[in-house]
Amino acid sequence: MAVRLLLYLAILLVGGFIGFKELANKKIISKLDHIQSGSLLFLLFIMGIRIGLDDKVISSFLKLGVQALVLSVFSIVFSVLLIKLVSKYI
Amino acid sequence: MSFKIILSVTAGILVGYFLLPEYIFDYTDIIIDIGLCILLFFVGIDIGRNKTVLIKIKKMGLKILLIPIMIIIGSIIGSWVGGLFVNLPFNESGAIGAGFGWYSLSAMLLSSYSTEISALAFISNVIREVIALISIPIIAKYIGDVESIGPAGATAMDTSLPIISKSTNAKTAVISFVTGVILSIAVPIIVPLIINLPF
Repeated sequence: MAVRLLLYLAILLVGGFIGFKELANKKIISKLDHIQSGSLLFLLFIMGIRIGLDDKVISSFLKLGVQALVLSVFSIVFSVLLIKLVSKYI
Repeated sequence: MSFKIILSVTAGILVGYFLLPEYIFDYTDIIIDIGLCILLFFVGIDIGRNKTVLIKIKKMGLKILLIPIMIIIGSIIGSWVGGLFVNLPFNESGAIGAGFGWYSLSAMLLSSYSTEISALAFISNVIREVIALISIPIIAKYIGDVESIGPAGATAMDTSLPIISKSTNAKTAVISFVTGVILSIAVPIIVPLIINLPF
């Protein structure tokens, strides 16, 4: 967990440095949006595959789905509402 | 974007469920890790190009902590309220909400308490992540930039970060990463704390 955290931070910092110093190829910069969207959608596809491959997830989803959905929806709604309360101070 | 996200996840689930053999699962881990690292690299470039972002974040100071604090309180109270509708005691619903979308860890933390609650924590936080991926672009557009970090929870530093970065701006992306880090540290502390509450 700590290793992963440092890895993500290091990668972001390296990318940030390259972006800040404008070291990246102009061609790449102009395609940044497409590269991000493309790899993001691919990543989500793989994440979907993981969910689909895991029989435990699928079967427990059918059994516990309603309870789980209610809990997650309320968690999300309250999180967004509370952030809305403080967002003008950010 | 939301539509493409739903399409990708759904296509993945269907392909995984109907087409692929189980052993593929072990390989998906490394693909996700590599993919995520590449994606974070580009998110980093995007943030770095925005020269004023560091100054803005510096100006915020400790106020940046408001976002993770609100997500912690909101997730726990939200799941308490949701728990009332589905007949769960406060310690169970609260602990599940305190997973903040990190499904693997929250399920592990609750596995010694009860298999059923562990499974519920897993599936509920998987759903949270999926809803986050879909709703972030919509919330960013219609409610506000920092509000879009709300659904992401602990995933604000990895899987949701590219979406937040795309849907908002460099400043919000940095707040999102910091928020995700704090929430990820909070999960293993708060989940055991709440499950041991006497009510």
